[in-house]
Amino acid sequence: MTRTQRSFSGRAAALAGRAAALLLLSAAPAALTRAADSSALPLGIPQDLYQFVIPKDNPETPEKIALGKQLFFDTRLSADGTVACSTCHDREKGFVDRFPTSKGIHAQFGKRNAPTVLNAMFQQTFFLDGRAPSLEEQAKLPIVNPIEMGNKDGAAVTAKVAAIPEYVSAFNAVFHQPVSYDNIGRAIAAFERTLVFGDSPFDRFMAGDANAMNESEKRGWSLFNGKGRCMSCHGFSSTQPFFTDNRFHNIGIAAHKANFVELAVKARHMVETGNIKQIDELAIQTDLSELGRFLVTKNYADIGAFKTSGLRNIALTAPYMHDGSLPTLWDVIDHYNKGGIQNPFLDGGMQRLGLSESEIDDLVAFLGSLTSSQFKAEGDAEMQRQKELAATKRPERDTDAAMGRKGDLGDVAPDPDVKDPALIGRTATEK
Amino acid sequence: MGFKFKSVETKWMEERESVMNELIRLPRRNFVRVAGAAAGAVLAKSLLPPHSFQLIEVVKAASPESPAVNFSIAYVSDTHIYTTKLNDRFVRSALKAVDDVNRLDPQPDFVLFGGDLAQLGKPEELQLGVQILKGLKAPVKMMVGEHDWYLDLGETWKGLFGSPNYSFDHKGVHFVVLNSIIEKDFWTARGMTPEQRMQTVAGLDNGVQSRFEVGEPQRMWMQQDLAKIPHKTPIVVFSHSPLYKYYRPWNFWTEDADEVQTILKPFQTVTVIHGHTHQVLSNRIGNICFHGLLSTAWPWPYAPEGLPKLTVQMSRANPFDMNDGVGNGRIDVLTDGLVNKIYNLWDRNPVSVPASYLKSNGTKNRPAEPTFDSY
Amino acid sequence: MRKFHILLFMPAAVMLAGGPDTPHHEAPDTRNGNVVVELCDGKTSLEVKGLKPGETMNPDQAKDVANQLMLAWQKKNPGMKWDMAADTAKDAKGKIPAPGTESPEKKQFETYGNYTSRDEFIWKQEYDKFVAEGNRIFHDAKAFGGTVGISCDMCHPNAANTHPETYPKYQVQLQRVALLRDMINWCIENPTKGKPLADDDTRLRAMEAYIMSQRKGVPMEPGKH
Repeated sequence: MTRTQRSFSGRAAALAGRAAALLLLSAAPAALTRAADSSALPLGIPQDLYQFVIPKDNPETPEKIALGKQLFFDTRLSADGTVACSTCHDREKGFVDRFPTSKGIHAQFGKRNAPTVLNAMFQQTFFLDGRAPSLEEQAKLPIVNPIEMGNKDGAAVTAKVAAIPEYVSAFNAVFHQPVSYDNIGRAIAAFERTLVFGDSPFDRFMAGDANAMNESEKRGWSLFNGKGRCMSCHGFSSTQPFFTDNRFHNIGIAAHKANFVELAVKARHMVETGNIKQIDELAIQTDLSELGRFLVTKNYADIGAFKTSGLRNIALTAPYMHDGSLPTLWDVIDHYNKGGIQNPFLDGGMQRLGLSESEIDDLVAFLGSLTSSQFKAEGDAEMQRQKELAATKRPERDTDAAMGRKGDLGDVAPDPDVKDPALIGRTATEK
Repeated sequence: MGFKFKSVETKWMEERESVMNELIRLPRRNFVRVAGAAAGAVLAKSLLPPHSFQLIEVVKAASPESPAVNFSIAYVSDTHIYTTKLNDRFVRSALKAVDDVNRLDPQPDFVLFGGDLAQLGKPEELQLGVQILKGLKAPVKMMVGEHDWYLDLGETWKGLFGSPNYSFDHKGVHFVVLNSIIEKDFWTARGMTPEQRMQTVAGLDNGVQSRFEVGEPQRMWMQQDLAKIPHKTPIVVFSHSPLYKYYRPWNFWTEDADEVQTILKPFQTVTVIHGHTHQVLSNRIGNICFHGLLSTAWPWPYAPEGLPKLTVQMSRANPFDMNDGVGNGRIDVLTDGLVNKIYNLWDRNPVSVPASYLKSNGTKNRPAEPTFDSY
Repeated sequence: MRKFHILLFMPAAVMLAGGPDTPHHEAPDTRNGNVVVELCDGKTSLEVKGLKPGETMNPDQAKDVANQLMLAWQKKNPGMKWDMAADTAKDAKGKIPAPGTESPEKKQFETYGNYTSRDEFIWKQEYDKFVAEGNRIFHDAKAFGGTVGISCDMCHPNAANTHPETYPKYQVQLQRVALLRDMINWCIENPTKGKPLADDDTRLRAMEAYIMSQRKGVPMEPGKH
């Protein structure tokens, strides 16, 4: 079925360089965005889940996708005409902005790192704290956030868009309704649902090409499933191959600068459960941001918990974590290796890992193999940049804690490595 | 000779001799019945501890309460031959069956082949089967199975053996041989190649193939053929599928069984002898008794439901012993048209199912119960 | 003045979801003799200008009315999604829980047990694929390494006679206590003349899954002979 469909990624692989990626993205929808049907899903992306997540009230049509794409890149959607969705979700940078936290209008910085739009349609909840239940809802919030795109409210945006004749006719043609804030969200979401990417070296390896990954990457995959314990939250299966469990975990990021208890007490009284707009503003603008999922659910287990990130194309989306505090993948592994940062709400699954330097290199190599073929050059360049940066400084590294010589973050099981990485996670043995 | 010690082979031969001598001491009539079944069983074993050679039941000689034997036939069924390059096990089993039958003394009037000569319907498999069956001393009556048919829809079979359905009379009994493995076309719509079609039919549990049937043209032929036969004449039907409805998911089934049974209803005594099920199987519906044959290749387990009440299951097979649960057998056609049958299970004591058991609807002469559950 | 009530169901999603018990409310009397349309939230209503009792609206009018009612509702419930309001359980205080939480107050909160219908979909898909793969290998001698053209289904159609519920047990053919996979390997080696599969071979695990799936509901009887 889709595994043999290679034409559109094959074309991409033939071209090289960032310019090529840009070329693809700015070309007619067919090259990057896909037709309304799912018959041409990239290698590794499951047909059944794709069908499952498309919402019934927002079917994909080429016109809607084109409209959404236009809106996505349109700076007029912001209050002062300088910020578009693509400002923080930059197509030349893996649909992120490579800043620790994003910068909105009037050069104001928010508190959260911008997640990528690549494969975002397969997320179960949206934003790092899952406050938006759908892509449609997510698209609408930054538009009215005072720091991000700065519009007063949905009506103001709608009025702005409704004053542009080409949008009026486009909305009419697509939705048979005048411009509305909800439909702006729907159109943008429809476009975002075309940003589906697979066909990474890892996908080719899982499809049966034993040479698609090199030895270091394969060892990394083995560690991912074994000693690294990554699989328990960054779960992979053929039906949900995005390396996330869609849950929220406190792994201790920023625990050393946030006083969770104090913040939680403040938030408990202040936050109106269900008022996404308020939660959105608190999350982006105030130091209550560090509470993460707690702002949404007010459950104690969610204090300081953030959504497990997907790992596809992770090489492209530095810096890492909800506040962008980890500049390279090496820093990320260092953080996990020492068992995260102790705080009263640290997820029980966080333990020191005892990984050696070469094992860390293998794990990072594996993460690098998750880059889709369209972005290969970009991914390689990023990995190189991160490698050079990590060679000079590794602020998160704490080898004593990782090896158990200090601290009390658990015991490492004796060499629980998995033997044959080629068979892990494989449902089918043929092909 | 001068040797003090005897070789294993010599000892074995001597043991065999003494067993045969014991048999000879039985009254002639009983010996004939015993020898046919037991000798085959005995000689088929490669290792022969005499004490295991105990017959559970010896079919009784004719007595006032049970009719005399009119004639005997032997059968070899479901050989499922692969070409020897791939797998010679089924070939060896088929040869063993032929040897068994050849050792019967007296010889049967004819040998019935119960269908599924080849496994994948290939001409080379069928040719090999022909060569093997040529070794039989008695004449052979062929019956077609689905494994023989669906590679080329019977072209090779018809070329080798003629029409798959025919009838004949023998010593007052009218025999009808059917091609009861007809299936409605399931392959054209799916775009299957002949090999794919054959593989599908070869799989018992895939549910893709259609259910077996006799089909209207053949039923009409049967009706016409039987129209000339007086209703008192015993009828024996050879069919590969059971001609009753046992278990549909495994095609232990004939879709138009009811219609076929209706055609047979006017006759006083009807016996259906069928292959395909590879297990000890007996059934009775009204005036018709149904007898399943053993395979020489492998045993099927009993189906989870639909097992006829009259069947006393055989114990489940030992997977270590490739001769367990398989074999051949003999059918004695009695003067009243019913049959006694002996299942000559290799590596087991023979199982005999007398006609009186079915005639009494299971109240008399019930065969022994199995030790292990089969399913 | 007679009142005319039209219950207006908005997005198809609500209808498809089967709809909750919709509250019935007394809409306000019509002020200008026009038809009053009420929303099924039980509170919002709108008098349609120029529509007299007995008249029907054209599609554009109807859409306009629907939009207006929706805007009015959204003003009262900022940031909420309509169909979420209709089919999400309210918490003890009568408030609708925040989007994405999905756990009404009665349930204990936890990460592990707090799974969604999408999770169940994914888990079932993966299980079905694994069992289907086992089914495929079970029926294909070459797939599991049999060399004589004998596949498992020849003696075990639908995995009959495999008795996975009786394992572990003393297996006579092996002369020791065996698990199901040991017996599968034995069968691969002996009747089908293949090489036994490694314990963590996906094919072995898939076949085990298929065999067990065929015996769903049968009580466990390890050691039974």
